[in-house]
Amino acid sequence: MALLEVKDLKMYYRTLRGQVKAVDCVSFEIEKGKALGIAGESGCGKSSMAITVLRLLPSNGHILGGEVRMDGLDLLSMSEEAFRKAIRWSRISMIFQGAMNALNPVHRVGNQIVEAILTHEDVSRQEAVERARRLLDMVGISPRRFNDYPHEFSGGMKQRAIIAMALACNPDLVIADEPTTALDVMVQAQVLRAIQDLREKLALSMMLITHDLSVIAQTCDDVAIMYAGKIVEYGTATEVYKKPLHPYSMGLVSAFPNIAAEKSPVRSVPGFPPNLVSPPEGCRFHPRCPLADDKCKTEEPASVEVGGNHHSVACHKVDVTAGGIDIWVQ
Amino acid sequence: MNGETVAGQAAVQPAPRRKRSGIADFWAQYRRRPYGLVGLVMLAMYIAVALAAPLLTPYDPRKTEFFLADRLAAPIWARFIIPRFRNAPPTSRYTIHPDQWKVERQERASLSFEEAGDRGETAVIRFEPSVEGGGGARSELSWKVHYGFNPPNTFEGKVTYRVEAPPDGMTRLSLVIVDPEGKEYDIWGTAVYGEQDWTTAALDSRDLQMKTRLNMTIFDDPAKVIFSTKGDYRLVLKASSESPSAEAKLFLAPAKFNILGILHGLLGADHMGADLWAQLVYGARISLIIGISAAVIGVALGTTIGIISGFLGGPVDEFLMRVADVFLSVPTLPVLIILSAFLGKNMWNIVLLVAAFSWMGSSRVVRSQTLSLKERAFVEAAKAAGASDAYIMVVHILPNVLPLVVANMVLMMPVAILYEASLSFLGLGDPRIPTWGRMLQNARAFGAFTELAWWWLVPPGLAITLLSLSFTFIGNTVNEVLNPRYRERS
Amino acid sequence: MGFRTYLIRRIVYALIVLFVILTFNFAVFRLMPGDAEKMIIDPRFSPEARMALRKQFGLDDPPLVQYWKYITSLLRFDLGQSFATRRPVASELAERLPNTIVLFLTAFTLTMVIGTAVGVYAAQHRGTFAETFVTGAGLFTYAVPTFFFQLLLLMLFGYYIRIFPIHGTMSAPPPDGAFLRFLDRVHHLILPAGSNVIIGFGSWALYTRNTMLEALGQDYIITARAKGLPRREILYHHALRSVLPPIVTLIFLSLPGMVTGAVITETIFSWHGVGRYLMDAVLQQDYPAAQGAFYLIALAVIISNFMADLVYGLVDPRIRVGAGERR
Repeated sequence: MALLEVKDLKMYYRTLRGQVKAVDCVSFEIEKGKALGIAGESGCGKSSMAITVLRLLPSNGHILGGEVRMDGLDLLSMSEEAFRKAIRWSRISMIFQGAMNALNPVHRVGNQIVEAILTHEDVSRQEAVERARRLLDMVGISPRRFNDYPHEFSGGMKQRAIIAMALACNPDLVIADEPTTALDVMVQAQVLRAIQDLREKLALSMMLITHDLSVIAQTCDDVAIMYAGKIVEYGTATEVYKKPLHPYSMGLVSAFPNIAAEKSPVRSVPGFPPNLVSPPEGCRFHPRCPLADDKCKTEEPASVEVGGNHHSVACHKVDVTAGGIDIWVQ
Repeated sequence: MNGETVAGQAAVQPAPRRKRSGIADFWAQYRRRPYGLVGLVMLAMYIAVALAAPLLTPYDPRKTEFFLADRLAAPIWARFIIPRFRNAPPTSRYTIHPDQWKVERQERASLSFEEAGDRGETAVIRFEPSVEGGGGARSELSWKVHYGFNPPNTFEGKVTYRVEAPPDGMTRLSLVIVDPEGKEYDIWGTAVYGEQDWTTAALDSRDLQMKTRLNMTIFDDPAKVIFSTKGDYRLVLKASSESPSAEAKLFLAPAKFNILGILHGLLGADHMGADLWAQLVYGARISLIIGISAAVIGVALGTTIGIISGFLGGPVDEFLMRVADVFLSVPTLPVLIILSAFLGKNMWNIVLLVAAFSWMGSSRVVRSQTLSLKERAFVEAAKAAGASDAYIMVVHILPNVLPLVVANMVLMMPVAILYEASLSFLGLGDPRIPTWGRMLQNARAFGAFTELAWWWLVPPGLAITLLSLSFTFIGNTVNEVLNPRYRERS
Repeated sequence: MGFRTYLIRRIVYALIVLFVILTFNFAVFRLMPGDAEKMIIDPRFSPEARMALRKQFGLDDPPLVQYWKYITSLLRFDLGQSFATRRPVASELAERLPNTIVLFLTAFTLTMVIGTAVGVYAAQHRGTFAETFVTGAGLFTYAVPTFFFQLLLLMLFGYYIRIFPIHGTMSAPPPDGAFLRFLDRVHHLILPAGSNVIIGFGSWALYTRNTMLEALGQDYIITARAKGLPRREILYHHALRSVLPPIVTLIFLSLPGMVTGAVITETIFSWHGVGRYLMDAVLQQDYPAAQGAFYLIALAVIISNFMADLVYGLVDPRIRVGAGERR
């Protein structure tokens, strides 16, 4: 049994202009010790999915259907209080984007870690402090900076402190939401290495959300490509990179600069992500897809498994894309 | 080519914000905001009241028009809502013309009328010379008046007369009120020996003189006692003469008789019987003048300081901002209290003082705006073209900070009005000018509380509140339209 | 900029303001109309008596000497003698100061506590009656002149429904027994303090609500929720704690306004305090008394401004620990 099982999850935001279908019938699984990367343009619903799993939705976000199970336990039907105590941070924790204000500016960094430990575990404060120091040390921050305030940390240090905080209660699953965005390239590399090391050392299961495919390539086993609230392609990282089957994934993969390749022009998928209040009929990608035909405009493609290894794709044109032609060449 | 012309050319397009259609544009945005419109309508009403003050009230509170009614008279409408005023009297004023006197009794006397120069028609009572042992001559004139209310608190009257008599003559004159039941109250009297030129005798039911004449104590109220029933009253003028040597003549000019109302006008009367509605209406003028002029002066000062400070920078900036800090840390109201006591109770002193303590906010906002404008291309261009600092500040910076300045000015107005009201309320206002603050101060000092005269207290307070509210609405709306960036501040 | 530099700056600044106020105080009162002499010296006095009095009030010294004497004596709280009562101003003020402090602290504490509590509550319960109430109260208290509101309360509760005394700090004669006397004091305190609280708490609550809402939308609140902290903890330890610096600063920044508001409140309710003393002195042209009262009020304002700066520095780690970032 998978550690985290998400099935047909549906989460809409209610707004004045109508319902925003941010997460629409999404299903995936994360096995113990594995890392799943979720990639997509901003606004495709990937962050909404993260906060749906942790049930941190704003008041206008509503889960309209589907299941989220952890070791078979139904997370959506738990009471708020039980979920808070039993799941948040102790079983699922989250790495936020450090450049944002994820650390409270008026509390010492160390105490913010201690607070997480004390909330979920029955240990003495002293013990919690000791653990927090070790955690800081583990992510490469000197324990002497335990008493510093967030504003005294650099961007990379803040991000690493947040990682340390995420590990405070030995969670089974860590959700990382854009953990390297807004950091400069050198620091990005450091942070990624730290995540990678910890994952290996602690055998962490992880769900990594990013718009940057290279990050997933470095750290994840599986990858799910999200477009307009739906997962359009799902498979092992190597397979999806090597042989993307959905036109959108193909675009993303080819947009991903390959330093090894000699002179591949940096490209991106032309067009804009759709408005999620009234997404396009049929395949949501069809307005941007060079292969789209009438069927794509009217009929929503189901996800089909292609060639084993759980590689699945939701596209009517799999037979074309599987041929291995670069459809994005102008 | 001199610097001026080049700078002038740069000024053709000083900044993107200033457009030809600026005002139309502004109004198009302003009118969409309900609060702004409400504020504008309210302000328009205030301005209309202020302008039309002389049309809205026959009285002018700047003149001393006292005892239009009884002290602390209630408004006319109090009759309908407050039981104790149900049948209270309004003010009745009578002028008794000579020909209105009715002859009640004449003994060796006759009544005629004659023109007496500027006094108009006068009544003349001729008394025949007195005879040995036979006594004098007498005459009684009466004038009837109907009274149909609850007892009043005060009545007053004036009798104007002249006596022409030989030096040994003695003429007596007295006024008696006869109530509907026939009871007589001798309210006034005098005796004239020989001749006397035109004299006006004032009689007042509050005077101790009348009370003693009526055998009442100082705590009694003649008006209440005399007019305690409803019906026809007679005012009887009794005159008699003992003039042995020759005929005596008594001339009577028109007399006055007033019953001061316990009800008066739209808002009643103050402790001096002056009209409160007139004070309220004229108060709108004063408040608007004070609020607008103090805000204009204060913000103009603040703008000047802000532009200079921001544009010149360096030690000048440091100094001016420290000065602003000091002004900000000083307890404004106590300073204003002391200074207005020091400078004398004068409206313009208050305006200047309020202005002097209200420039700091606008100077800071203008300064920060100037700092950013200074870096803009058109200023750089003007500088490069050799325009002088003063020229750049006036031609390039000033027009661009104006939107901020306007909003600040409008928001300053309620502050100025409140300061003025507070000072007036504390008794430091201009005593010659009716302001809302002074109305409140009078209400507090002169008995509105013990009489529960809320109609004296509520209107001026409400007037201040609504006026500040309307300025606040307008100011905030102007700010929203012109300075969207500064919206959250202020 | 470290905390120490910050502190020193604020102290220097407070001293400058104090100096400006002292000089103002000196200059204005020397220049007051109706020469002080007329006030204290009866024309029927003999020249000798007149001289003696001039000397006693120090009116004959050259201005600079007067200034020096004035500064040094003020710093020793020797405020001279009242023209009106011929008593030392300092002891007259000392008699009234406790009354003012009681009124002021009561009003201030209640305003703060109620305002903050209502604001926090409204921030938690968006779109409910509480929110409408806070917005309305904020607007109301912004527009209504305090003294007008106080007059209304006085008329309503002092004269119409006579449940509160209409003037003074206590009944004359005071009731027997310490407890009854205390109750009597409280009874007298309710209107003056309560009116200030009602006028004050609205804008407080509105401000607290707005800053709380802003804080509740911050990323670190999501972090705190993700950490599984209890709701209460998130609200107080994270949201409220992080808006404390601006709130506390504003609390102290509003002190001067309340101190000066005391002048009007005390006048309206005939409160036997420093503010009313100032008013009486000004109206009676009792300059030493007015000067002393003004000095005391100004001092209170300077101190509260300084406290605002100090507390801001203490609650905001960015200043307290100081790593260069200025707000």
